[in-house]
Amino acid sequence: MARLTIEHVARIEGHGNITVDVADGVVRDIRMDVVEPARFFESMVVGRRFDDAPLITSRICGICSPNHVLTSIKALEAALAVEVSDRTRLLRKLLVCGSYLQNHATHLYILAAPDYVGLPNVFPLAVSHPEIVERALRLKKLGNDLTTLVGGRPVHPVTAVVGGFTSEPGAAALAPYRDLLLGVADDALATVELFASFPVPDFATAGEMLALTAADDYAIYDGETAALGAGWRRPCGEYREFIGESVVGHSNAKHSTVGGKPFLVGSVARANINAGKLNDAGRAALAKSGLALPTRNPFHMNVLQAVELADASARCAGYIERLLDMGGSSSPEPFKIRAGEGGSATEAPRGTLYHSYGVDDDGIITRGDVVTPTAQNLANIDADMRAFAPTIADRPEAEFTLLVEELVRSYDPCLSCAVH
Amino acid sequence: MAPRLVVLSLASDFGCQVQLTNMTGELLDVLGLVDLSYWQLATSGHMPADYDVAIIEGAVTTDEHVALLANVRRTAAVVIAMGTCANTGGIPAIAGGLGYESRYAVVYGDGVAVAPGRRAPLPVDFFIKVDYHVPGCPIDTDEFLRVLSHVLLGLSDRVPDMTMCASCKVNETVCFYDRGELCLGLITRAGCGARCTSLGRACTGCRGIAPDANLVSAREIAARSGVRTGDLDKALRVYNALTEVHA
Repeated sequence: MARLTIEHVARIEGHGNITVDVADGVVRDIRMDVVEPARFFESMVVGRRFDDAPLITSRICGICSPNHVLTSIKALEAALAVEVSDRTRLLRKLLVCGSYLQNHATHLYILAAPDYVGLPNVFPLAVSHPEIVERALRLKKLGNDLTTLVGGRPVHPVTAVVGGFTSEPGAAALAPYRDLLLGVADDALATVELFASFPVPDFATAGEMLALTAADDYAIYDGETAALGAGWRRPCGEYREFIGESVVGHSNAKHSTVGGKPFLVGSVARANINAGKLNDAGRAALAKSGLALPTRNPFHMNVLQAVELADASARCAGYIERLLDMGGSSSPEPFKIRAGEGGSATEAPRGTLYHSYGVDDDGIITRGDVVTPTAQNLANIDADMRAFAPTIADRPEAEFTLLVEELVRSYDPCLSCAVH
Repeated sequence: MAPRLVVLSLASDFGCQVQLTNMTGELLDVLGLVDLSYWQLATSGHMPADYDVAIIEGAVTTDEHVALLANVRRTAAVVIAMGTCANTGGIPAIAGGLGYESRYAVVYGDGVAVAPGRRAPLPVDFFIKVDYHVPGCPIDTDEFLRVLSHVLLGLSDRVPDMTMCASCKVNETVCFYDRGELCLGLITRAGCGARCTSLGRACTGCRGIAPDANLVSAREIAARSGVRTGDLDKALRVYNALTEVHA
């Protein structure tokens, strides 16, 4: 029995190793060992005031922090029965979209692209293909600027609180972003073309797919949880009733199942479930990608993230138009502190993120629970690797390793999130 | 020869490393000044045996981290602690102190043993000498660039000692205590330009307690403004859970 270990898989957020057991040229087992240290976030919020929860749980992940802040706030609003205005909802959607632009550009260009051009990292492209790196940095910067405009800073936004915003951009600050967002349409399409041009293995996951879905939007901020295969829809706040979590020996992150089986969240699940909600820019980008939906290939996460870049930038421009039309304020709504339980979800760039809390009469948190996108994907990543590895077992070790890493990186894993 | 630089992370959310990638205007210039020898988040490759500058993000939470830090200190001429986790233990340190082991069951129940070699969170300088400090959760990229230029020019560490109140005065921000609201700017290390308070959000103390802070006076001011006794102390524990250990 030979064992191959890929230690500290590069270009993913967090620390994980991939272990492969091979006997007589046959892959016997392959798994992702998540060695990222546990920080015990769910225990940290217990005993603290409710409004500390978004602040603390945001630090689960510096990459998708806007999603953690907003999911935490939404769960608390469910527990405290706080209703927010349409304006607040739109501003929150802008905050999530800014995070999408920043995250997808980072994942696609800095983390994933080097795999497909035979480089250890993206930096040599700054010399050989400056237009590609400049495009990546433009998309990333616009995402960061948008998150900063609404949230005050790109990582761990500060203005979003239970009930609304402590500060919000005025019309004069918002208006230029409409054109800036429409101005990256070509960059987004070029990203779709680039990733559509990278050959990916022909592989189908066996997993179920889950994503939020909403009647009025390509769901990123609210909606119900939908299951593609089983066809059901459930209120996202009841996630503890349909997502099972279990502790596994090789991972500091728990594994998730739905109906006892692994499942997938992220751009492939979202696009499959919500293809009909893509806007014109998103549909044009999807056509350019040449993909037919639904797809069961997790390697398509990359190109579908690029499609989402096209969709999200145009969608944000629309949100800004509506914000400019409606006027008004997103000052926090007044509310009474009361005992309650509440859960909610948003679509983080790499999949659905769930938070839930219990709060007592004094607003002190009695229970906290967080289920992150990567925690949901880990069982499916292991299952995919077990199915995929035997099909490439005859390849030279370096190529085998790269293909397995490409599969894992396609999921855009965040192991800080997964363990938390 | 350009200094060989490694970026390492312990227990963290990678947010400070994300901030490094967010220096979209300066990143390529910075990379022209250093030899980036290892950065797991951004590049394939293995940790080299030799390097000059180590940038460390995160709190120490495993035996492996302790061994890594000892190795880093033996190897690197310069160690930079990046972000609040590395500097004060930050948010991870909330889990430390009494009852650390009991938290395992809260999260994992009685499932099989995972997270081997875990230990209560501590900042980097509890284990090794740190040459340069970049506080903040996350770091401010302008401040990071200033510190890095100090490193490259051989200048000394110049992390601000004063409290945030000075920045609010410069910004002409109305004091939260005038409205009877708790704000940790009274005791928190300046240097971010008081971004949160200028956006209507009281300071949550993410840069750690300033050496110039007067905690006794801060408690008096809070009490005089109608903030409940104990609320200030409870709030400052979010980013300074280990402060008494260091006092």
